[in-house]
Amino acid sequence: MGTGVEIEPHAIAPTPATAEPAIDPDAQRRQSWAGCARYVEPCTRSRAARVLLLSLGLAGGAISAGLLFGLGDRLVQTDPATLLVGAGTLAGVGAIAGAIAGRLGADGPALPDRLRPATVSLAQSYTGPRFLDEVPAHATLLRFAPNLYLPNHASVPGGAARLRLFGHVGGWLVPVREVDPRPQFTEVPAGQTGTAPSVLRQRRLSIGLGVDLAVPLPYPVLAPRRSARLGRAELRWRPELQIRRDRFAPGTSQATILERTMLLPLTVGVRWHLSARQRLTLYAGPRFDMVAFSDRGSDRLRRGGAQIGPLYGEAWYDIDVPLTGRPRRDARPRKLDANGQLTLGYIHAKLDGQGFDFGPVIGFLGPIHVGWATRLRPTGASGAARVAAQVGAFARIGSTTTVGLELGLVAPDLHLRGRGTR
Amino acid sequence: MSRHVLSALSVLAATLSLAVLASFVPGCVQPECTSPLYSIAECRVIAENQHARLRTSQGVELRFQEPDARDDASWDARGLVQELPDGSLEARVAGLGRFALSMRAPEDVDVTLRLRLTNVDPSATIGVGIAGLELLQPTDPAGGTTRELEVPMAAGQIQWVRGTRECGSRYRLTVLGDIQTNPTQFERIVDHLHAESLAAEQAGEPIVGLVIVGDLTESSRDDEFETLREILARVPFPVAVTPGNHDIYRPARPYYNLTFGPGNHAFDVCGVHVALLDSGSGSIARSVQARLPELLDRGDSQFLVVGMHHPPYPGLTGSGWSAEDRAAALLAEVAREEADLVVAGHNHALHEFSEIPVGDVSVREIIVGTGGAYQGLGVPRYGYLRLVFDDEAGTMDACFVEVPPSGYAGPQSEPLSRLPYCDEA
Repeated sequence: MGTGVEIEPHAIAPTPATAEPAIDPDAQRRQSWAGCARYVEPCTRSRAARVLLLSLGLAGGAISAGLLFGLGDRLVQTDPATLLVGAGTLAGVGAIAGAIAGRLGADGPALPDRLRPATVSLAQSYTGPRFLDEVPAHATLLRFAPNLYLPNHASVPGGAARLRLFGHVGGWLVPVREVDPRPQFTEVPAGQTGTAPSVLRQRRLSIGLGVDLAVPLPYPVLAPRRSARLGRAELRWRPELQIRRDRFAPGTSQATILERTMLLPLTVGVRWHLSARQRLTLYAGPRFDMVAFSDRGSDRLRRGGAQIGPLYGEAWYDIDVPLTGRPRRDARPRKLDANGQLTLGYIHAKLDGQGFDFGPVIGFLGPIHVGWATRLRPTGASGAARVAAQVGAFARIGSTTTVGLELGLVAPDLHLRGRGTR
Repeated sequence: MSRHVLSALSVLAATLSLAVLASFVPGCVQPECTSPLYSIAECRVIAENQHARLRTSQGVELRFQEPDARDDASWDARGLVQELPDGSLEARVAGLGRFALSMRAPEDVDVTLRLRLTNVDPSATIGVGIAGLELLQPTDPAGGTTRELEVPMAAGQIQWVRGTRECGSRYRLTVLGDIQTNPTQFERIVDHLHAESLAAEQAGEPIVGLVIVGDLTESSRDDEFETLREILARVPFPVAVTPGNHDIYRPARPYYNLTFGPGNHAFDVCGVHVALLDSGSGSIARSVQARLPELLDRGDSQFLVVGMHHPPYPGLTGSGWSAEDRAAALLAEVAREEADLVVAGHNHALHEFSEIPVGDVSVREIIVGTGGAYQGLGVPRYGYLRLVFDDEAGTMDACFVEVPPSGYAGPQSEPLSRLPYCDEA
């Protein structure tokens, strides 16, 4: 699941689970395409919001692409334009996917147990394809993302601010192995099936750590009479540190270490709740990279200063899907509530080597993320305090494709004051 | 929980598990590029290696070799060997400076091999024989980069063609990238290189070659490659090339490799070791990453220049590698070897990053995507990078030679931020 997947328990009106109100006095108006979404209070014009998002996404992407082609590469700083192309496209695709989801399901009410990253989870991913005598990357990551909710200040009617500590530790437990495909040998080396000699072995340690502060804005953001009521918004600040340490030819006299550190101290973001069940989240900020390396056969890293890296950015579109909203056919009570979430994402960084390329457009865009996660929580009034299970599958699509599974647990959130809620 | 949910989750988990497990079963995997897509870097590694050797219709085995090689058991991707439809043989030397080509006659018959060598330095000494330098070949009176050889070979005999070039202590190397839709402008640059070549020779500072860091074509089409080949035949010194993303994205055939030979190759010319890396797919192949220590080994050369299409450090140009991990691995290798310069293109502009911190080393990188490709609004800055080496002083100076477009007298009023403009000649 991407970092943009989460829950804001106070940001959404506390509508009862999935029970539809018995009386909807303004049903006719609410069902018009630009009307307020049903079962959502206060009013959110989800369809109009998606149309606006689609327009903004297409316009932003097209203008950026036009600037790139029109003004050309002589501008030194064209990276923001490529970020806008990626984020704008994701926004457009998200708006269309959101419209389909809204049509198939509903835009409300908000799910009371909306998904966010699991408090602690184990993710296993595989990057393929695999070729003869080669070992592709299998990554195992232990992820964590506990939440701390700050006091709900009266001046912020939208809800409480949330601070999340997130990160991961893990890597490639099995070294990646690569062969040299040049067909000059006819003998089969020991331990291999083909004749191509093994030339590269690589281990990777991956560490990430950051905090994500989300502050909801009042809703409507503008004065009520001037507001188009297009959905709630949040502002975010997410400083982050990512480290990748690669060990090449481990266990040999030629072993070297490469350590890459990505510093994102000033990443800021905004979340737009286009409906009670759909959200767009954008992050952007400067990036600083540090590359350290060792001499051959040495474990001592030669460290130096930081480079100014490409602009960092992310765009996420989340769609909540209730899986147990309807009663069972046999009318027996459910023991578990299940909610799902579809996540579409674009990451404007190729730290893990997965730029998204097509045709001659190579080296400009970061990977695309598609994920599905399901949360399973015991039903009943006491369920809120229990630990929930969360399982998910994801794919990260770029010049190579990574698929993975994630199994996690969701613990009750921490609150600086007041009783814990999900 | 709904049975449907459980079923869906089970199917999902089972599918993913099967996909992962299948990858461990030996019977389910095959060598890479068994069904090649030449837009994939690793497949081009195979292609460039494959086309560096040839068994001719006469049964002669021709193989490009490492210049000091004495054994023809293997070969090295340092050129392109082709038997053309008219039956003639052509061997294009990929690098500048020294080269070697082995020729093994068939076991049962004497043959006379007629071979056209292309992309050879006009001042190079070419020798043919058992060791390779016994029979010196005459130079082309026209001073071109093509030599015609006729080599009589006894049955089973192995002969070698070797080329060497004498160097003074001062010499020049020129670099550019990104020609794409504008071979006309590139022809103007070639004209300028002609003029500079004569003046530089008289100044005792000969140009030893031109390095093109990718994007020779716009759409990887045969006719585009043919046009470039014709233009490059006019360059009065050898040209070393490596592909860009626009040269490799028609995946059916390795058009680039069939025209110019290898994209990953290293050579020594005078006192410079030049390593060219095929980053056309957004990064180098993993097997090439493994060979970086070998490719970047400068040996006895005083200077090390590393060239590729995508800049490993893009700054804020937005024109980086698809695989930043491999770009960083390359930068680390460049820093470890203390390379003098990284040259790249991709960004249609001229940028210099003079001090990129990589560990405790500062790496210098120049982006010179100024070979003719569209640069956007305003008068474009076309031209090439001139590197002047002085072996005795141990210095390498870089400057930019502007070749303005037709109808513009240039140079631009906009000054270069770091690189100086070159003095004429």
